[in-house]
Amino acid sequence: MLERRLKWLAALVLIWAGLIVGKLVSLQVVHHRQYAVLARTRQEQVVRILAPRGTILDRTGAPLAMSVPTQSVLVNPQKVPDLGVAADILSMVLTTNRTDLYARLEAARARGSGYFVVKKKATWEETQRLHGMAFDWIDITGGSERHYPNGSLAAHILGGVDFAEKGNAGIEKSLEADLEGTPGEERVLTDVKGRGIDALVESEPKPGVTLTLTIDERLQFVAERELAAAVEDKGARSGSVVVMNPHTGEILAMASNPSYDPNLPPSANDNPEARLNHATSVPFEPGSVFKVITLAAALETTRLRPESMIDCGRGSITLFGRTIHEAHGGYGVISMAQVLARSSNVGAIRIGMTVGEAKMHEYVRRFGFGERTGVPLPAESRGRLRNLERWSKASLPSISIGQEVSVTALQLAQAASIVANGGLLVRPRLVLRKGGQPAPASAPVRVIRPETAVTMRQMMEGVVLPGGTGYPEARLDGYSVAGKTGSAQIYDVAEKRYTHNYNGSFVGFAPLNNPSIVVVVTLNGTHGNMGFGGRAAAPVFHAVATEALRVLDVPRDLPDAPAPVEVAGNAADKDDLAIADLGSLEPNILEESEEDSAGPAPAATGPKVPDFRGKTMRAVLAEAAQKGLPVVPDGSGVARLQYPPAGSLLREGERIRVRFSR
Amino acid sequence: MAAFLGKTANAGASVAPAAARSEKDPYRLRALPLDDVLFYAKKIDNSRLVRAADPRARGACWNAVGAAAVLLVLLTGTLVPSLAGRLEGYKLEALKGEERRLLDERRTLELQEAELLSPDRLERAAARQNLVAPKANQVVHLDSNQPGSDFALVK
Repeated sequence: MLERRLKWLAALVLIWAGLIVGKLVSLQVVHHRQYAVLARTRQEQVVRILAPRGTILDRTGAPLAMSVPTQSVLVNPQKVPDLGVAADILSMVLTTNRTDLYARLEAARARGSGYFVVKKKATWEETQRLHGMAFDWIDITGGSERHYPNGSLAAHILGGVDFAEKGNAGIEKSLEADLEGTPGEERVLTDVKGRGIDALVESEPKPGVTLTLTIDERLQFVAERELAAAVEDKGARSGSVVVMNPHTGEILAMASNPSYDPNLPPSANDNPEARLNHATSVPFEPGSVFKVITLAAALETTRLRPESMIDCGRGSITLFGRTIHEAHGGYGVISMAQVLARSSNVGAIRIGMTVGEAKMHEYVRRFGFGERTGVPLPAESRGRLRNLERWSKASLPSISIGQEVSVTALQLAQAASIVANGGLLVRPRLVLRKGGQPAPASAPVRVIRPETAVTMRQMMEGVVLPGGTGYPEARLDGYSVAGKTGSAQIYDVAEKRYTHNYNGSFVGFAPLNNPSIVVVVTLNGTHGNMGFGGRAAAPVFHAVATEALRVLDVPRDLPDAPAPVEVAGNAADKDDLAIADLGSLEPNILEESEEDSAGPAPAATGPKVPDFRGKTMRAVLAEAAQKGLPVVPDGSGVARLQYPPAGSLLREGERIRVRFSR
Repeated sequence: MAAFLGKTANAGASVAPAAARSEKDPYRLRALPLDDVLFYAKKIDNSRLVRAADPRARGACWNAVGAAAVLLVLLTGTLVPSLAGRLEGYKLEALKGEERRLLDERRTLELQEAELLSPDRLERAAARQNLVAPKANQVVHLDSNQPGSDFALVK
């Protein structure tokens, strides 16, 4: 009897065990994948590991743009069981207005929305408290937000990002591939309360590359401050400033006005011009600053020298049936150096005609005009330089004085750097390092001979010496300066005539013998006499260059500033930059030539300049010391060039520059 | 049990006087089932019985204790690392979260520092104190080898 019962019990136990084994087989073998997935969804959370967008630094390491992680609290209104309770909880934790939140939640539910942002930029404590409540209708998402700590500083260089933190302008757009980070993923094993137990990183996050720009934050600030003041003071429509190292091509500052704050989202009321980078994207007719190219081409391709005399025709020249006027008065026969210093249109045209169309076109090209500089900014303009085949008869004289061609401020800085660095075309650079590694720089290309560059520098110094169009606004205390002014009339396409508005510009560099900086200033849409390059743009150059030389610790090459030179002539002459035949409706730039003001001629009552050519440096210095003449020697060997030329009278405060070579 | 049986016996003894009454006492409790049954409690004295010593049972007992101890050690050895791992996992995840929070906080502080050091703000602050930028010939460069000159060299 007992044995029988035991057998039954054993059979029951076996059946029970069999059922268990069967269920285990079902769970672990037959439906393994299904239950594994189910378990994973309940026990594991896939967490997105944020990869912050790359930081943008200036050359000193100061952050210009950086991303800060944020957390947002989202609610699915359709899943909320009781809106009142939800509003109570959320308003208490997130310290928001309960009534307002309830109304917004109700509205979101009414319109069927399943996505409602309760609070962006929630604090860590707030999100932790909500996370602990474990409501399935609350979602906390991590993200990041782009910040520009200096506001509008360098806005046109940096650009901005859209709502998805993708670059939409400036460096942010052009170097998106470098700056963009790739988020990673990790699987976190959680307990029933959602607390993490273990984590497995499935893909590592790749943060964006940190970019170090060539920009100097302090110089950029000064450039923007001075530009904004000048634009407002002169009533200009816009303006730009470029500060560049002529030897390396590093852009130290690039300002554009009007400007904007990239921290603020764009709105319909924004001025669209404020988002344009006028230094790279808006070309303009350069006017007289282009005479630097004309004269450099002449030095390279003709027998003309700074002391070569040019007949300026007493203020006018007739070409192809049209008369070209000098803007103010007129000059007779003056040296080529004086053509540049006084910005004679007729003289520059005569020099350009000597160069010839083909050579002029070639040199304008070689100086980098008509093509992009390659700076990593979107929408860079190549300017306008027509092919030689499309030049008219009037093109050569027009281009000789900076008309019929349009350039950007950055192209001008690149061209001025060629003169400043001894004749090499160095491409502008905006990125110094990428992720700690130096950014590659393009190899320089020789454009003009070193002697030509030195000669051009000396001639450009005349622009800021007494009698030059940039005197005294462009002079710097303690530094020798070379520069060129430009004041081009703006052509009104609608009315088909030149207006009384100008593009006032100044291109300069300092110190003269070994320039550390090139500064280009343009003011577009200035009015009246005070809107010319020498009056409007040169003071900006003065302020920016002074600060740049101080910040860069450039040794001074001149003694402290002497007392201002009293010059003969009335002040009205200096401002008299009227354009000839301004009222003419003809859009002929040759007839409506522009001109910069020649500064009032100083009294040339000094000693006669001796002829140093062919003498050794020792002999030159001895002779100069004997006669009490100030001499600035340059180079070594035998004196080849000198300025002022032999026989002329030395003006007050003027020095004799002597170029030696072997 | 004895108390129960005693109580039952007492109840049976009181049946006769109650039945003699003709009228029903309204306050009298109703009789329980088996109220009139009497049980006899037999006294058994087992004090003279002595359990005989069983060396095999003692050994089996010790075997069971040993086996239980081994099983306990094995279970503990198996479960403790897992439990410790889980506890450490909690700590690790908490520390990771703390690390992320501190990194986020650092970036936020860096941003605040950059905003405070922005040139525009510094210039406004300098203007409030009637400070102006020095001219080129007004800058005095200190000898960097001198102690404490690092601050002065910062432009």
